[in-house]
Amino acid sequence: MEWFSFLRDEILPALLKGFRVSILLIVPSAVFGLCVGIVVGAARVYGNRFVAALANAFVTIFRGVPLVVQLFIWYFGLPYFGIYFSPFVASVLGFTLCSGAYQSEYIRGALLSIKKGQMLAAQALGFSRIQTIVSVIMPQALRRALPGSGNEIIYLIKYSSLAYMITCIELTGEAKILASHTFRYTEVFLAVGTVYLIIVSFASRILEYLENRFRIPGFER
Amino acid sequence: MPESLNTVIDALPYMLSGALITIAVVAGAMLFGLVAGVPLAVGQVYGRRLPQRLIGIYIWFFRGIPLLVLLFLFYFGFCTLVGLNLSAFTVAIIVLGLISSAYQSQIFRGAIGSLPAGQFKAARALGMSDTQTIIFVILPQALRLSIPGWSNEYSIVLKDSAVTFALGVAEIMARTHFVATRTYQHMPLYIAAGIIYLVLTYLGIKALRILENKVRIHGYIR
Amino acid sequence: MILWAENIRKTYGDREILKGVSLSISKGELKVLIGPSGAGKSTLLQCLNFLVMPDAGDVWLEGHKIDRAKKSELYAIRQQVGMIFQDFNLFDHLTALENIKIGLIRVKGMDKKAATDRADAELERVGLKEHAKHYPAQLSGGQKQRVSIARALAMDPKVMLLDEPTSALDPELIGEVHAVIRDLVANGMTMIMATHQIGFSRAMANEIIFMENGLIVEQGEPRKIFSNAECERTREFCSKVTDLYGEV
Repeated sequence: MEWFSFLRDEILPALLKGFRVSILLIVPSAVFGLCVGIVVGAARVYGNRFVAALANAFVTIFRGVPLVVQLFIWYFGLPYFGIYFSPFVASVLGFTLCSGAYQSEYIRGALLSIKKGQMLAAQALGFSRIQTIVSVIMPQALRRALPGSGNEIIYLIKYSSLAYMITCIELTGEAKILASHTFRYTEVFLAVGTVYLIIVSFASRILEYLENRFRIPGFER
Repeated sequence: MPESLNTVIDALPYMLSGALITIAVVAGAMLFGLVAGVPLAVGQVYGRRLPQRLIGIYIWFFRGIPLLVLLFLFYFGFCTLVGLNLSAFTVAIIVLGLISSAYQSQIFRGAIGSLPAGQFKAARALGMSDTQTIIFVILPQALRLSIPGWSNEYSIVLKDSAVTFALGVAEIMARTHFVATRTYQHMPLYIAAGIIYLVLTYLGIKALRILENKVRIHGYIR
Repeated sequence: MILWAENIRKTYGDREILKGVSLSISKGELKVLIGPSGAGKSTLLQCLNFLVMPDAGDVWLEGHKIDRAKKSELYAIRQQVGMIFQDFNLFDHLTALENIKIGLIRVKGMDKKAATDRADAELERVGLKEHAKHYPAQLSGGQKQRVSIARALAMDPKVMLLDEPTSALDPELIGEVHAVIRDLVANGMTMIMATHQIGFSRAMANEIIFMENGLIVEQGEPRKIFSNAECERTREFCSKVTDLYGEV
């Protein structure tokens, strides 16, 4: 079958190339995004008036403005101030900040759901505020935030495809290039779509596994 | 500085007409998502095994595949294959609508599931058919409960609409980029575009909150 | 005989809830089901109007056997047999009046005016006319149950099934519901009621049916069952219950 050899000889190599870039985009963005989320989330819950307001403003802006606009600002906009990022760096920056804003929502929700008594007990034992947050609150909050945060990372896998729009060529970019050269849009994009579906399903399974593994009996609320 | 401000002000009417296109796309997609999402949710909750499985696959597909890929697949691939001559605008609404329907169905499904079993039982005990029960007892309550989730979905679809720029839909991003490439005032223009999106988000959510209050039932706590 | 059920069986998972129960009721009678929780009283009542599909057994309404394969017959029997639930199950998105109207309009096909008039009358009959425009969330438990009785009565049922109608009510609200039920008895309504309210049952029932573990252990006149029951188990249950609920 002709399309099978097309699949093997043309699509697969392109997909592999793109997949590599996608992973390089997704992993750092997910990790840094989570870090940003934790810091911003904690700032929103435990920070003083000024810090909390700043953090809230950050979240409102980065959740309210489309990711596409954010990416364009980092890639096309920053040169206005003389800062030139490569498409790759601009993408990771954009994904990190945007994901971070969403992550902070989940972290914040999880932090708020921890009973006040936990903090009181720790302070009664002599813990400082920071120590309490790090050793007592966060371990519990991160478990609670797992479903939301995990889902956000799955979203990230999907919207990493937007890197194409600022010329960072990952999976979607490779597909577009190949398809425009061969005019075999349907096959190519079905293939790429399938790859994403597989990655997303795989990530979902891992998330489920993690949720089960870290479950503490009776800890639900 | 003043040059950039002037550029933005000059471009504003052009960008705002793009906002109209954006609103049209978002409204179309959300409506599509609603009309498709309700039957999907009802099918998932009350349907038999086979419809449930099929709906599950539909939802998995439209929630798993990236928007951009689906737009390209549909516009360049499917339409050409089948010989459909749809505009980018139409394709944008259809694709955003399909994806939204998958997410909206989960919102409705959750709302339906949160209703006590007694509601269905009582309707049955009166002799109502399942269809009547779903239409007159279950959905009126479930749809009210879904408004907050729908609000959230609105802001998501609004932001996703910016991606349709890749197909050439003349919405806010497309127009902003058009002006930016000609005037080189990228930063101020994109910031302005961002502000327009923020305003649209705020207005939409405000409107939905008013709707929520209008259809609220006295003392209804769930 | 208006309603007659024979050999009803029902299993949930690996538990047999009803092990072959038969009962019958004639026009104007009030029969009361008593027994410990888990005896199958609720399930039995819900099998009589096929809200729960029995695994075996048949039901006759006014001499006609209900063919459970036919959806139309199921809808028909549910129209003619009214049911009152322990947790009221009023439609939360409708006012008291609308709760009563909806069955009339959608199931009986009445026009809006006729339905409103009838609903008004039923609401007045249970003494809640001023609450017509209130939503269930704004009503007390006793009021909710009275509305649900009005809703069932508006359908002109031949038989009413009451599944522990006062179990979810605060003690002070039980009286108002009992008053309505008393009224129904006086007007000749045929009813089967499951309840823990021994005093009320003793005063009002034509027959007491004691159930345990999915079977009818004993049935007979209230006087006999409560003071002079034949079965050991019945006597045991009744003595414990009268201790708990007090002699009325």
